[in-house]
Amino acid sequence: MKSGIKTLVLVLMILLISTALFAGGQSEEGVKPIKLGGVWPLADITGEQGSKSAQLAVDEINAAGGLLGRPVELIVIDSEFKPEKGAAAIDRLATIENVDVFLGGMSSGVHLGQIPTLKKYKKVTVWTGAASGRAEEAMGPDAAWYFHLHPWDYNQGASYVEGWEAIGAKYPDLATAKWFMAYEEGAFGTASFNNWVELWGDNGIVEGESFTSAAFGGGDYSAVLEHAKEANPDIFVWAGYAADALPMMEQTKAVGFEPKTYIGSPPGWPSDFGDSPLAENVMFYGMWTPEMNKINKISKHYYDAYVKKYKATPETYFAPLGYTAVYIIAEAIKRAGTVETEALIKALEATAYESPLGETITFGPSNIIQHQGIRRQKIIQWQNDKQEIIWPFEYKTSDPVYPFPSWNKR
Amino acid sequence: MAERILKRPLYIIVGLLSAAVIVLLLFWKPTVVVYGVQRAGLYAGIALPMALILGIVHIVNLAHGEFMITAAYITYFLCNSFGMSPFAALVPVVIVMFLLGMLIFKFTIKHTLKAPELNQLILTFGLAMVLTQGLNLIATSQPRKISLDFVTSSATVGETTFGTYGFIYDLAAVLILAGLLFFLRKTKFGKAAVAVGQNPRGARIIGIDVNKIYILVFSLAIALTGIMGVLFLTSQSIFPLAGGSYTMKSFCLVAMAGMGSLPGIVFASIGLGIAESFIMSFQGYGGWSNIVFFALIIIVILIKSFKGKR
Amino acid sequence: MIKYWKYILIAIILLLGVLFPFYAGAYQQSIARTVLIYLVLAISWDMLLRSGQLSFGMAGLFGIGSYASVLLLLRLGASPMLSILGAGLVAFVVAALLGILVLRLRAMYFAITTLAIGEIFRIIIRNWSSFTGGPEGAILPNIIFDGDPVLSYWLVLGLALLAIVLSVIFQKTRIYFALTAIRNNEVVAKSSGINIFKYLVIVFAITSALQGMAGGVFAQTYGFVTPESSFSADYILLPIAMALLGGIYGTLGPIIGTVLLGVLAEYLKLYIPYGHLIVYGIIIICIIMFMPQGIVGVVRSKIIRREVG
Repeated sequence: MKSGIKTLVLVLMILLISTALFAGGQSEEGVKPIKLGGVWPLADITGEQGSKSAQLAVDEINAAGGLLGRPVELIVIDSEFKPEKGAAAIDRLATIENVDVFLGGMSSGVHLGQIPTLKKYKKVTVWTGAASGRAEEAMGPDAAWYFHLHPWDYNQGASYVEGWEAIGAKYPDLATAKWFMAYEEGAFGTASFNNWVELWGDNGIVEGESFTSAAFGGGDYSAVLEHAKEANPDIFVWAGYAADALPMMEQTKAVGFEPKTYIGSPPGWPSDFGDSPLAENVMFYGMWTPEMNKINKISKHYYDAYVKKYKATPETYFAPLGYTAVYIIAEAIKRAGTVETEALIKALEATAYESPLGETITFGPSNIIQHQGIRRQKIIQWQNDKQEIIWPFEYKTSDPVYPFPSWNKR
Repeated sequence: MAERILKRPLYIIVGLLSAAVIVLLLFWKPTVVVYGVQRAGLYAGIALPMALILGIVHIVNLAHGEFMITAAYITYFLCNSFGMSPFAALVPVVIVMFLLGMLIFKFTIKHTLKAPELNQLILTFGLAMVLTQGLNLIATSQPRKISLDFVTSSATVGETTFGTYGFIYDLAAVLILAGLLFFLRKTKFGKAAVAVGQNPRGARIIGIDVNKIYILVFSLAIALTGIMGVLFLTSQSIFPLAGGSYTMKSFCLVAMAGMGSLPGIVFASIGLGIAESFIMSFQGYGGWSNIVFFALIIIVILIKSFKGKR
Repeated sequence: MIKYWKYILIAIILLLGVLFPFYAGAYQQSIARTVLIYLVLAISWDMLLRSGQLSFGMAGLFGIGSYASVLLLLRLGASPMLSILGAGLVAFVVAALLGILVLRLRAMYFAITTLAIGEIFRIIIRNWSSFTGGPEGAILPNIIFDGDPVLSYWLVLGLALLAIVLSVIFQKTRIYFALTAIRNNEVVAKSSGINIFKYLVIVFAITSALQGMAGGVFAQTYGFVTPESSFSADYILLPIAMALLGGIYGTLGPIIGTVLLGVLAEYLKLYIPYGHLIVYGIIIICIIMFMPQGIVGVVRSKIIRREVG
């Protein structure tokens, strides 16, 4: 029976130790830094590079003397792609690290779990991820402290329509008639498709079918591609993930399907995608590409600094987005002269930040929330291993190549 | 094997029925059979080594798909750094995977053989985590693939054009199955391994070195996942988490086939591959194809168990 | 005398647990809620394991419970608390019906079947958009108790205590002898006149109800469900790893295991932001290799050795 007691003592000790070890950070003497708290999925390339880009911006700001005479500190916590971990990270940043501003973000699923916690603290939040309209619904119209940078799914859909109409007007050969969309069956693909159908109306312009993404154990697109071939669309577009990119193209070629325009819309591309002969003239949507460096000084500066510091190239637009978020916050703090929430919200509302993404970012209301930043994606095309921007025309780095060359002429 | 099949009329009926269905499908929707069989090859090729480990070492290896992806990454770096063709990389990759299997067995699994099965299960889960996260640290989560021209090969019969490269998985599965059956039935070592699989204690008594059998069979199976890893890289993108779903699918197939049955894996794969392709051939119903996978597995397991009761 | 101390200790731990929100901050409470959810999964999984049945159905039942509670609230206007009970009831009924069908299976066959059933529910939910919200999931207009952290913590703690109490009852009553008899020797159990099957169905249904309620509580405290996160495979293997670390076939083991691994995961993350999961995996491997009996087992055997020596 003695063993019972000892085990219980052990349990008690474990409980005490775990509580004690969790006790909060100690306050330091001297000039207190301005603290930014970031949450990203750090094991994913988007979160890894997004957080590192944010750190890069913080380093630059500190090298230039900090903000309001105080240094800036970025505390990053991994969301592990889990909603409950993402929410706990917000709790930690708010109560133990005592950060002044939240930033970061990738994945709508995680964000849905964080929203109740964010609402609890009502601290200024500048979010770089989460496209799902569900997240906007959950956030609701009252959150004046919430600044959402990434376009919502319906923003993206609307910008594609706008883009294709503009392209059709400028390059009449590229005017679109019939679409077929292959979309991955998860939240991202399904939302893309539903928005697309809603925008074009139920008039047979848009047809589509779902597939299981290679990111979730799929990778066989033959059935969908066969149906797409039968539908004989002018434009074929697939909405999936980077892992789908090359296999999708290889299988498209294998089934002998040759659409006049071929669009892929993953959030990022696989490594060395441009090296494949199949990549040539594939179009896609994104917020940023390294070609932006040709026309945008901030992008060039960011890119070079990132490569210098981390010996790697930024691979997805989430990287410059993390950098952008920090600068937007920093400029607002400068304007407000304080990190106090009310003043900071006012200052953020006046944001007009020339970003490495090309556009000058300002905030305004979207369908539900008060402060939506970016609303447009760009239409980009692979040309000679480069990701050339073809729309919006103000950021154009190249003219579109049309039609999509036959598979056998590559 | 053949005698056993002939003794059971149920097998003959099921076999004939499925043959009839396949022939009918060939005329009605030929690509269903083509893609179904290609898919079956991939499933079977990956599941066979898992069945081998389960049948002889009695371990459910939850790091199975992760081993395959590790092999694919090794292939990727060999191809990228030395400009090797993936098929030339096959030899070094298989050797490396064999050695990796040996090391892992020696340093981890060996020490849990006497513990309950559950411990081995969670141990391999831990291994899967370490492999995945290790790959993630080295190679990041960004998907990788080598672009190869021959994977887009196709054939046209009548009015349908279809990809033919997927048949390489069937070839691999058939070769792996034939090789394993030959190994287990004709070689001295293989026969000893079968004996160990059936009764490790008995095998030990008659003087078989059980530990040696375990480590070699395990390493052999890991080497086979290496072959599949190389092939996988040729037609699919790889990323650190890519293996997980194949671990689960293999696990399901192994259960459906009957623990450790190798030919059963092939039949189960063909059944599942064609059934999935059939559902997917109806536009808009592809989302339900995974249900067929899991429902068939439950049904087969239940039927088998009720048959066993009688 | 010894018994007396034991109860005092339990009372102290209970008090520390209940008063936790008053001496721990929001972050600790948030972690504690997650740990307690895993605790419910680990204990309920272990309760069924005591009969020898290895279940991989936790993710499925957690997901079913999450969706049941959210849909009961959204579609039928049930109150949050009622919807959590409803989630338990739905999981109970689903498990009882399925249990009658699959509980005759043993070992890996049973494990695979429970896994497959969970997957089937996930696919149905994802494809039945009009009712469930489809792949994008569904959100609640309000989270439970309007987000009051103390009440939310107590809710999760209450569920965990319910699981612990049930587990203890299972260990102290007739059911325990029935279940252990099944695990140790089914033939003997049968011939001794125990209706194995009845007990198995009851235990499977009760443990499933706990897992369903855990899902319901999770959905109500975070305010959303999605097919991917609500049916996550993490709810299968992590609770098993936690229970194994603490020691299976008992109430204490899973408790110790979940607290340790749950807290450890958070620590690793803070010290090794990029790549902490690799260390987590190595720790799991080491524990399995060097403590095959779990912590409770190691402590017991040491104490026994000392008492003998």
